[in-house]
Parts: sequence; structure tokens; C-alpha cells
Amino acid sequence: MATAAEQWVLVEMVQALYEAPAYHLILEGILILWIIRLLFSKTYKLQERSDLTVKEKEELIEEWQPEPLVPPISKDHPALNYNIVSGPPSHSIVVNGKECINFASFNFLGLLDNPRVKAAALASLKKYGVGTCGPRGFYGTFDVHLDLEDRLAKFMKTEEAIIYSYGFATIASAIPAYSKRGDIVFVDRAACFAIQKGLQASRSNIKLFEHNDMADLERLLKEQEIEDQKNPRKARVTRRFIVVEGLYMNTGTICPLPELVQLKYKYKARIFLEESLSFGVLGEHGRGVTEHFGINIDDIDLISANMENALASIGGFCCGRSFVIDHQRLSGQGYCFSASLPPLLAAAAIEALNIMEENPGITFEPRKSDCRLH
Amino acid sequence: MRSWAGNLSGSSLIHPQRTSIHPGERSDCRKIAGQVGLAGSQFATQYIKSQNGKPHFYEKPVVESFEEAPLHVMVFTYMGYGIGTLFGYLRDFLRNSGIEKCNAAVEREEQKDFVPLYQNFENFYTRNIYMRIRDNWNRPICSAPGALFDVMERVSDDYNWTFRFTGRIIKDVINMGSYNFLGLAVRYDESMRTVKDVLEEYGVGVASTRHEMGTLNKHKELEDLVAQFLNVEAAMVFGMGFATNSMNIPALVGKGCLILSDELNHASLVLGARLSGATIRIFKHNNMQSLEKLLRDAVIYGQPRTRRAWKKILIMVEGVYSMEGSIVNLPQIVALKKKYKAYLYIDEAHSIGSVGPTGRGVVEFFGMDPQDVDVFMGTFTKSFGAAGGYIAGRKEFHSQGAPRMSRSSPADSAEEQDLVDYLRVHSHSAVYATSMSPPIAEQIIRSMKFIMGLDGTTEGLKRVQQLAKNTRYFRQRLNEMGFIIYGNEESPVVPLLLYMPGKVAAFARHLLNRKIGVVVVGFPATPLAEARARFCISAAHTREMLDTVLEALDEMGDLLHLKYSRNKKSARPELYDETSFELDD
Repeated sequence: MATAAEQWVLVEMVQALYEAPAYHLILEGILILWIIRLLFSKTYKLQERSDLTVKEKEELIEEWQPEPLVPPISKDHPALNYNIVSGPPSHSIVVNGKECINFASFNFLGLLDNPRVKAAALASLKKYGVGTCGPRGFYGTFDVHLDLEDRLAKFMKTEEAIIYSYGFATIASAIPAYSKRGDIVFVDRAACFAIQKGLQASRSNIKLFEHNDMADLERLLKEQEIEDQKNPRKARVTRRFIVVEGLYMNTGTICPLPELVQLKYKYKARIFLEESLSFGVLGEHGRGVTEHFGINIDDIDLISANMENALASIGGFCCGRSFVIDHQRLSGQGYCFSASLPPLLAAAAIEALNIMEENPGITFEPRKSDCRLH
Repeated sequence: MRSWAGNLSGSSLIHPQRTSIHPGERSDCRKIAGQVGLAGSQFATQYIKSQNGKPHFYEKPVVESFEEAPLHVMVFTYMGYGIGTLFGYLRDFLRNSGIEKCNAAVEREEQKDFVPLYQNFENFYTRNIYMRIRDNWNRPICSAPGALFDVMERVSDDYNWTFRFTGRIIKDVINMGSYNFLGLAVRYDESMRTVKDVLEEYGVGVASTRHEMGTLNKHKELEDLVAQFLNVEAAMVFGMGFATNSMNIPALVGKGCLILSDELNHASLVLGARLSGATIRIFKHNNMQSLEKLLRDAVIYGQPRTRRAWKKILIMVEGVYSMEGSIVNLPQIVALKKKYKAYLYIDEAHSIGSVGPTGRGVVEFFGMDPQDVDVFMGTFTKSFGAAGGYIAGRKEFHSQGAPRMSRSSPADSAEEQDLVDYLRVHSHSAVYATSMSPPIAEQIIRSMKFIMGLDGTTEGLKRVQQLAKNTRYFRQRLNEMGFIIYGNEESPVVPLLLYMPGKVAAFARHLLNRKIGVVVVGFPATPLAEARARFCISAAHTREMLDTVLEALDEMGDLLHLKYSRNKKSARPELYDETSFELDD
């Protein structure tokens, strides 16, 4: 038929036109007219953007009233009438002019007013001054920091440790460095605020399990396993983390670490342990909850603690294997984008660590008095 | 006395004037006229009361420049990264197939079947490009970070995978990298005796939060002093500058609010904005047209989809941007903020203590009223030689647009809002995080008194002026030499563009050999093709030190061909700026 089509001549086409049935011609004519109409009609948008005139826009701008930047606070809110402490916040503390026994600070080992710690800080002040004037990457790394990281790693028997300049920022920067959007984090319902902020910053899927309830955690892990089997490709790139605290700030209970380690290997999730309150307090030498339960420290992927409780300094640290910790040196926000810890605080922490190592009995004191109180 | 910014509330868009541009060049010099000539309207020069009571008016035109590099430089830069990437793929292949030994740490044997902790491509840049030149960062030092410091020598036997210290110390390296604007980071001397006393009395740690037992009388003293320094009503201090932003912005704004944040804002501001849950829109760096457009759209069209009005709009900017060296265009932002009833949050981490005639920050630099800015935020790390951050503002203030209530009528007191008191109650840091360490607080008190002149000397003021002099001299000489320098003429942070990754490494290494410590920055802190060296001028730098550095830079510029600038100023610029010539007697 190809050759026949090529040989169509105009005359024959006109003839075909005459011979076509009437309805056919009328239909074609209508279609052609419709096409022409569509071609020449104005386009219209499905969603009409409100075409406000300039005057209306100016009126809107005039009329709009924002909310006040901060809502009013009643003058007798307790936080506004704060207690002012004059003098050192040690075991006996002067609050609002009255001398009291201090049951409120986290001064577990009583090192806040230890003369050796103060002497070490003073020596560091004399050599380095106060501030470090830069983040770790830009000449803010002092030999004191490297020393402290070394000592902490040796003390906790891990490969490497990394120091942050603020306790809150430690776990809040560590979690988002590893867990990103799409990863799954199983966290205890009673987790502290810093962990919550870290989780919020990480944008991962959060699954809460009941406080210290391993059965609930296992249930969640099983559900996740079933989900994985439905979509194995996605499961191969979704990381899983379990975030727990050694000693919970909100409830004061210890986490059941042996069961957690078992669950870790069964369901292939990594454990991040936050030991702010248990470092220096639990365990024979003060190494925390892993020593308390006698667990191999390599089983925990990341241990994070702050030095503001037992070590009577300021700052925080994370320790673990180099494979895990080294990553934070480039992607821990509180590490890369913030000035490093002032050297006098680092020196104080080193000295406090020395004291802890020299008299391991110091860690028994808080537990003994705790039993008496209970 | 009217603030001149108030005159602009009824006017239309304010256009920055452009200077004349040489043909064939695509540089972007902006002259932002500070007083008259804005949008063609005529203003008389207004006298504005400044912090120390003396009226002063802002008259110097502000010059910022961000010159673009010639085309061949950009081509070579991308080529350099391309070649690095190709080699990266090659080396990755060699490492994976076992031909080359892999020096990186590896996962535990027992956990090999876990989902991998890092995706391969996430760390590609780190493994292959950053690792080659890693020795230029994280250089450990062992003295106070003053104008001269001691760097510990370290070498690598396996191409930067591991380092070892030789034990030698490179002494008296000129420090062009630390944020030591006023030279207050020095080893102990007698003027720091109060810090020693506080340390001996209070100890080092606090072990408690602000709401519990952590508010010491030192903190109260410091907060009052900060408020006095900034000429605002109240201030609150926190233990870490980064945490100040990330923990207080969520307390100020939440869902249903809008944050307009500059393109180049610091990571802490970005994190704080994200954690707050508000909607974030980004405007181009220091670009007032972009900001105005966003403001108009926000006020007119409201929230997306629901069209409800925004609860509040917060504009977040920095005083001095550390990577660009530019200073925020404060007068125009305040004018826009007043017109559209937004709130202004200004992060003065780099500008407090270093800009302004008496070091009070960008507000003083532009001669404006501190009441115009809603939230002042800053850190104590840079100019005060300590650590920590603050937020300051009015103790009581009135929402935008509402008629000013008189303080005397008690019936109206319920309408007044307290920014700092609100933060004392609601800030995450006050409730959950430890307060500042006492000796650090004392150091800040001491240095602030020093700068303000409350210790009885004018040394502080001299330092601020010395910093301004050093800045001008350094920038001028670098411009003459023909380097591309970004940023405002008056900003003490001087970025010098290097562009190519190889030059970045060579620059830092050569300068360390000549005993000058510089900071180089590359991707991801800067755009990929704009790697730079960043100098921080200090009041402690003497003319000789600056000359040594400039000489070395001159030689480096010739060695590495870094002098890309196409508008070399004359070697005698003082002839341009002088309007009166003093004749020799």
C-alpha cells in the first residue's frame, strides 16, 4: 500500500471529498473548527493566583499584626526567683545567704572543691590563659585536649575518645552524626532531653519502648524485622540504633545492659549508651555500667558521657572504637563548629581522672550513702 | 531624636548603589551609602546618640567586594577536583580489591553482617581528597593562642592516615588563624589575678543547671555587665556559644512561625532553626531585594496552603560572616523589619568586641539604636578570650506596631513582654544544661571591664582602635598586591581566595615552614570551587608581624600564582582618600 499512498494526487483527494458521506464531512468540519478555537483561546490556570492589586497588598501589610515575640511571663514564676549561690557549690553550699547541705548538685565524687583539681586547673591557666579562640580544626587543639582524650580512652579501655566543650552538646551531636533520615532509632521513653534533641536533629524514625522494658523493645524489633522482610533492599541500607542511658536522669534506674547486648546481636542494631550519670559512679573503678555488669566494652558501639557530674569539670566525651569515633571529627556539629574546651577545664578533668584512678574506693562512697538514704 | 531608619518605613524598596565597574570585569563592588542618597530621597544627616553618650553619625560609605575569579581559574579548579575524583575511584577500587593496603579503621568481625555504619559515597570526599591534605587542619598547639604561639611538629609516614609527633615544637609561629581579635588570649599575667582567685574559691565545675543550684552570684554579675556593655536592658549567659543558638531559637519560635535566614548562616543558627519546627526560608546573602520579596510574600500570602497568617516572622542574620568577611547590611534590614513588623535576631559571634568604635558590635558600627534589634546573641570565645554565649535584649518590650505603652500605668504592665525573663524560664539550656564555669565567667567580666574602660585605663579602647588600624592596613596591602579578598573593608576576618585544592595545601604548608600559622578552608565549609585562606587580624599583631606575613604572602602569591585580582589598586592609596593634605612645616 506504500506505493499507492505515494501516488495520491490532488485530484483524487478532491474526488474522495465529494464521495465521502455527509456526516463524515460535518464531523471533520466541526473538529477543525474546534481545533482552531482552542488554538486561539486564552490559556487558563487551574489555580487562580489571587491577583491582588498593589493597594490591597499594601493594606494587607499594614493590617497584619504578629504575635509578640515572647508571651508574657508572670512575675512570680519560680524560675525567675532563682536561688543565688554565693561561693563554691560543694557539699556545703550557701544559697540565698543561708548555708545548707547540698543534695542538689551532681557532685558525685566530691571533686568540685578538691585542691589537686584546682591546682591542676591553675597550672593550666598560667600556661594557656583561659580561652582557646578557635574550633578544633583551626588551631584550637591543645596538647591538653589530646592528653585528655588519650587518658579517657585508656581509662575506659577503648581505642579512641573525642571531647566536646559542653556536656549537653555531646550526645546531641553524636546521634545525628550517625543516624540520618530513614534510619531507625529505638529509644527508651525516659530518655533525657539531650538525647531527645539529638534525635530530633537527626530526622530519623524514632520508636519508643517502655522504660526498661526489654519485652517491649523485643516486640518493636520483631515488628521491624517483619517490615524488613517485605522490603529487603531498603532494609540493607537502613541503619538501626538503640539509644539507652546507663543511669536514667528522669527515673534513677539502671538499664538492663546484658539483655540489650543480646538483643543487639539478635536483631543487628547498634547500641549507643549515654553514661552521664553512671560514669564515675557505677562499676568497680568507675567505668560505668559496662563494668557494673561485666560486659566487654567493645560490644557497645558508642559510649557518651559528660564530665560535669563525676569529673567536676565542664564538657563531655564520647569513646568507642576508632572506626566509630573518628567519624565525629568531621561530622559532629558540636565538635567542628564550636570552640574547643578551655584548657583549664581539660586539665581539671585530667586531674580528676587521676584521682579516680588512684583511689578506686572513691566511687563506693556515693553508693554507700545512697543505700543509707534509701 | 528620630532614628533615620524610621523615615524609610513609608518608602519603597531601597536599592544599593553600584559603583562604576571597569569594562570587561564582573566584579561586584557595592557601595552602601550610609546616610543620604538612599533611593534618591533626601535626608539630613541625623545625629544619633550612641552608647557612650556622644552623638555620632554614620558617614563613611561601606565598601564590600566579592570579586569573581577569571574563567581559567574556575576551569582549572573543577579540573583539579575532577582529577582528584578519578584518582579517588581508582584508589577505592585498588583498596577494595585488596591490591592496596587499606589504612582506614574497619568494622568489628562480629558486626560484619550489620548494616554498614557509613555509606561508601558519603565518605568519598573525606577518604580521597580531604585525606591527602589533612595535615593542614587540627594542628595541635602547646601555648596560649596569642599573636605568637607554639605549634607541635607532626609528621605522617603513611600519607596522612596517621600522624606522629616528632617531639619538636615550632616556637613563635605568627598566629593568623585564631579568633583573638583584641589580643586577650594570653598566658597568665597579673591582670588575670581575679580569675585565679575565683578559681581557687569556687573551683572549676558547677555540676548543676541554672534552674537548680547552678546560678552563682558570678553569673548574675556577668549578666548585668553584659547588659551594660551592649546598652540593653538585660542579658542571660550560657555555657557554650553553639548551644546558645541551638537551644534558644526553639524557645522563641515554633510551628506556625517563619524564619528568614541568610544563606550563609552558621551551623548553629541552622540547627536551632530546624529544631524549632518553624518554616525556614532562605534569602540570598546580604541581599535586601531577596529579603524584601520574601517578607512581602510572607505577609501577603501567609502560610502555604492554609493561607493563615504567620504567627511571627524572625529574620536571622549574623553581624560579621566568618567565611565571607562581610558585615550585615543592618540599616536596611532594620528598615525592612519595621515596615513588615518582623523580629530581628542578630548573631554577633564575630562582631562583638571587634567592630564599632568602642567595640560594641555592628549596632554601634552603623550608629544605630540598640532598641531596633530584638534579640542580640553573641559569644565570648572570639574577642573576650573565654568561652560561652549570651542572649540580650529588652527586658520588657512591646510587640511591633502596637502603640507604645507608658511604663507608669500599672494596668498596662500585663501587656509588656520580657524577652530575657522568658528565656530564663523557657530556655532549654537553663533547664537541662550546666551553667558556665566560674573562672570563665570571671575572665569575661575582667575582659569586658577592660574593654569598657571600667578598670580605670583606656587600654581597652586603644586595643579596639589598634584592631581597626591593623585591619585596614592588612586589607589595603593585600588589595594592592593583587589578591582576591572578600568582604567588607572594615571586617577583621579576611578571606583570601585560593580556589584550587592543591594550592590550598601548598599555601598552608609553605607558610608553616616560614613560621606563620594560617587557616585554610575548603569544601564543605565553603562552596566547592571557592577554597580560601582566612586570616583573623588581632590587636596584638604588631606592624612588624603584619609586615612579615605580608612579605611571605607576596612571595607565596608569586610562587603559586595566586594574584588573580583584576583591579589592583595603586601602591599609594592614601592619595585617594586624603581630602586635605598637611604640608610639612
